[in-house]
Amino acid sequence: MGEYMVYDTVCKRRGDFFVATLYEKRTMLTYAIRRLILVLPTLWAVVTFVFFLIRIVPGGPAVAALGSYATEESIRQLEKQMGLDKPILVQYGSFLKNLCRGDLGKSLITHKPISQEIFRALPYTLDLAIGGMIIGILFGIPSGIMTALRRNRAPDYIGRILSLVGISMPEFYLGILLMYLFAIKLQLFPVLGGGDFSHLGSRLYHLFLPALTLGIIMTAFVSRMVRSSMLNVLGEDYVRTARAKGLPERKVIYKHALRNALIPTVTVIGIYMSILMGGSVLTEIIFSRPGLGKMMVFAVKDRDYIALQSVIIIFSAFVFLFNLITDLLYAVIDPRIEYH
Amino acid sequence: MSRKGIFVRTFRRNKISVVGLLMALCLVIIAVIAPWISPYDPISQDISVQHAPPGWAHLFGADSYGRDQLSRVLWGSRVSLVVGLLSVLFAMAAGIPLGMIGGYKGGWVDNLVLRFIDIFMSFPIVILGLLVLAVMGPGLMKIVIAIGVALTPRIARLARGSTLSVKGKEYIEAARAVGQNDARIMMIHVLPNIFGDILVMGTLWVATAIIVEASLSFIGLGVRPPTPSWGAMIRDGLDQLTNAPWLSLFPGLAIFVSVFSFNLIADGLRDISDPKLRG
Amino acid sequence: MRKILAFSLVALISIIIACLPVFAQEKVVRMALKASDIRSLDPHYGTTTIDYACIDPMFNALVRFKPEDINPEKIEPDLAERWERSKHGLVWTFSLRKGVKFHKGYGELTAEDVKFSLEKAANKASSGFAADYAALDKVEVLDKYKVRITFKSAIPSVLGILTNYHGGYIVSKKAVMEKGDKFKFDPIGTGPFMLKEYLAKEKVVEVRHPEFFRGRPKLDRVELWFMPDASSREMAFRKGEIDIVEGEREQAWVNKMRTVPGTAIEIFGPGETLTLHFNMTKKPLDDIRVRRAISHAIDRGELMKFLGADVTSKLVSVIPMDYLGGTDKVATYEFDPEKAKKLLAEAGYPKGLDLSMVITEMSDYRRPMEQVQEQLRRVGIRLKMDVITHTAYHEQIRKDVNPLVLYVCARFPTADPLLTQFFYSKSIIGTPTAVTNFSHYNKIDNLIEKARVEPDPKKQKEVWGEAQKKIIEDAVALPLCITKFVFARKTYVDLGYEMRSTLTLVTPIKETTDIRK
Repeated sequence: MGEYMVYDTVCKRRGDFFVATLYEKRTMLTYAIRRLILVLPTLWAVVTFVFFLIRIVPGGPAVAALGSYATEESIRQLEKQMGLDKPILVQYGSFLKNLCRGDLGKSLITHKPISQEIFRALPYTLDLAIGGMIIGILFGIPSGIMTALRRNRAPDYIGRILSLVGISMPEFYLGILLMYLFAIKLQLFPVLGGGDFSHLGSRLYHLFLPALTLGIIMTAFVSRMVRSSMLNVLGEDYVRTARAKGLPERKVIYKHALRNALIPTVTVIGIYMSILMGGSVLTEIIFSRPGLGKMMVFAVKDRDYIALQSVIIIFSAFVFLFNLITDLLYAVIDPRIEYH
Repeated sequence: MSRKGIFVRTFRRNKISVVGLLMALCLVIIAVIAPWISPYDPISQDISVQHAPPGWAHLFGADSYGRDQLSRVLWGSRVSLVVGLLSVLFAMAAGIPLGMIGGYKGGWVDNLVLRFIDIFMSFPIVILGLLVLAVMGPGLMKIVIAIGVALTPRIARLARGSTLSVKGKEYIEAARAVGQNDARIMMIHVLPNIFGDILVMGTLWVATAIIVEASLSFIGLGVRPPTPSWGAMIRDGLDQLTNAPWLSLFPGLAIFVSVFSFNLIADGLRDISDPKLRG
Repeated sequence: MRKILAFSLVALISIIIACLPVFAQEKVVRMALKASDIRSLDPHYGTTTIDYACIDPMFNALVRFKPEDINPEKIEPDLAERWERSKHGLVWTFSLRKGVKFHKGYGELTAEDVKFSLEKAANKASSGFAADYAALDKVEVLDKYKVRITFKSAIPSVLGILTNYHGGYIVSKKAVMEKGDKFKFDPIGTGPFMLKEYLAKEKVVEVRHPEFFRGRPKLDRVELWFMPDASSREMAFRKGEIDIVEGEREQAWVNKMRTVPGTAIEIFGPGETLTLHFNMTKKPLDDIRVRRAISHAIDRGELMKFLGADVTSKLVSVIPMDYLGGTDKVATYEFDPEKAKKLLAEAGYPKGLDLSMVITEMSDYRRPMEQVQEQLRRVGIRLKMDVITHTAYHEQIRKDVNPLVLYVCARFPTADPLLTQFFYSKSIIGTPTAVTNFSHYNKIDNLIEKARVEPDPKKQKEVWGEAQKKIIEDAVALPLCITKFVFARKTYVDLGYEMRSTLTLVTPIKETTDIRK
């Protein structure tokens, strides 16, 4: 974790010392349209990248899956199974064709269609990402506001240290600590699995600790983000004007400052989601949640390259989607923002 | 005074960043002198002290093979630091030119760079690291490359942004007017001026890289046993969590402290450059 | 206002109802095993512990081991009620029990099913255990409940290959013919439990087979969870989410589980042998001095201390003492690092040597091997190990990747299977008839063959003893120790039998298993 793109969007507004991406002014609409048009080609590029990367495994994925001294026969058999015996472009063609049909291939280990497994695992990962984000926003925004308003006083220092701790903590370590405390010592929560998805209570019960793990880290990020953006806004002219006009401080803060400060926070939901999805990999391993992250790690360890290829494609498709939503929201919500 | 000079002076005045820098320096020093200050050989086993709790003979306790944890944590800093620093250096070496060229040239070159960044940003760092390691196999240098590749687009994006803001400045105009070619301009004028921003983010990315290395080792894709690595130590310690919790505790703390120190530096740097954020 | 209140109340109640735990009065046993997935539920292909655990409750055989006791002399009737053998042991006639029903309405067990199953088990294309049935000549259906099995030559234990282990399981002919390849993950047998669902990498769920011939099983459901992670298994067990858990074969684990209230620890045999095989095709292991040096470098005492006294026992020869034919009258390579260094120098490696190998991440293999790595380092042998998945490991060692192969296994408790699979020339890996002869050894073929057909049990044991002596003398493999099976179970689970020893390698769930909460 550690996506500092979050920070860079704040600075986009100010064009300051750090990062400024303002250069040309375009209208919002053209920008949005351009982004949308580029979705498909970019997704295609992602997919192609994964496809070719998998195939540059030294010796070929079949050899890597079977081991360096595999017999000729078994290699050829697996290659046929994976469709590797055909020329690379033909493979690529059929890969794309299948992809459009929704056929993600068959796992090299279970020989079952991967789309089934992905379909089963996806909700658990999305649950986790959304849960983590909700906790992060719920606690991060108030604490960010508080530390911004009480700048340089005790709450600020405590808040800043805590959030610094939060972003310095590896999520798997935090997960282990939380699991030890809540699930073992206090026996409050389960350690296993994702629970019965169709049953809401079980689902939430199994979601709590993993989501809390990611949520704590998210809170730290959000809090810092909100603090910076509040401080920026509080220094802006229109805030000073509002104060000079004699408006009550409360109104200044909540009506003017906060709303403007929250804009960049809210618009980076997409980035949060991508951080969360990255963090979900280890959290799922620790808590044995049957999600995409866990599937991905197992695919790597089992050398199931077809499964790995498909899971990563789906995963990145989602992340890409969230990034896209971010950029569009950002452009839509604040017309004052300049962008390229 | 040059921008760089102001920068250094205000840095020294900011307490947070100084503390962070000192901590990070300690870390580097420890990593370098680890072989000399470790009380034991980190891979030598002694079953008679299996799972020994922290005590005088073994300050951090001993693991299932009776290996001294303190020595292993000290040696583990070498792996984390090497990966942390080298991978960011790799990403800078690859990403800065990329971002600079895109930002400076504009037009279709810039578009290409942007698309490249977009594509690679679709992969959270750990995922891309996983993918690269799946292809290359485990090993120290391979991890450096894996994380470096994952960080490249992020640094490229940064470099591009900074380049864009510097692009309009007068000295660039002047250089162009004099007739200097693009490459020279980028090297002599753009690069030194964006380097400050990159450095700040660079420290943040070192922190991230350390966490990602620990994550990959934790999964089992790290350095080969018996080489100590903090992530792998946490993983081994996990099995003994209920009977020997110190085995996961200390390596975890080590990761935390290292990452914390780099984050402190970065925070300090940010505060300096942005008066509104300052305490 | 009132409408809002009413609405909120209804909403609240619905949420509460939705969150209420499902009140199940069913009797379920949840077992967690150390594996990431099953390889096959077809009993003629299941070879790993997890496969056995899932297969055993679903199938029966003509005869079975007395639960749970692997003494081959106590084999008793299962699907067969009684049997007769001919004078020379080449023709066996079995009379089947009547009224045995297959799962899910696949009809009654008849001699046709038995013929089909045995032929399937003996066929290389449909079974991984075909080699065990090489001596099988034909199976004839005499009538609906009578079957005659004829062998080409005498084998040490006919009942051994017809018992509830490996190829002896009887499957439904109709189901196999119908399902074809799908049978591997949707099997039909006669056992007390039948498959309800299989979720890849997660669990296998089996439910009661109401028409089980020994009576209605007490449990409603059995869940077999795949949990390769030791800490997850332990936490789930502590939390009560799992009722029976496969443990780590280490003292530390046993000790800490003993402190968990309401826990019974089952440590049972026959245990698995840990043996280090030397691949003699990999230089410099072709030099016997190097092999002997390695043997002297390894401290078995330290290894057993590392694993723990409760879970290990001594292994002197490649065949355990309590197997039929096992002997301890073989030479031993005493732990002697100085001698090891000397031998290495003699062989031309005074500065030590470098070896690389792969090892599975599975703790039963990896942890002893990490100790061995260290012990070898002390005499100058630098062993580089790459950790890979268990599946990948089992594939790669069969492809001559490793100079040293650590193998952990249990086999039918006579000397023949181990000798044949690991030391017979036909079993050499890479050949069409390969099994697990990693060392490429071929010097005791005559002894193995002789023992197989030897009618006098005393002489048979002698020949087996000679074979084992030669294996050690030629430093082909080094026996390290035996690790026993370790399981922890909640005291409210009543297995319904006494856990002594079993070839299923787990505490099997039977029709008599019950929960007493």
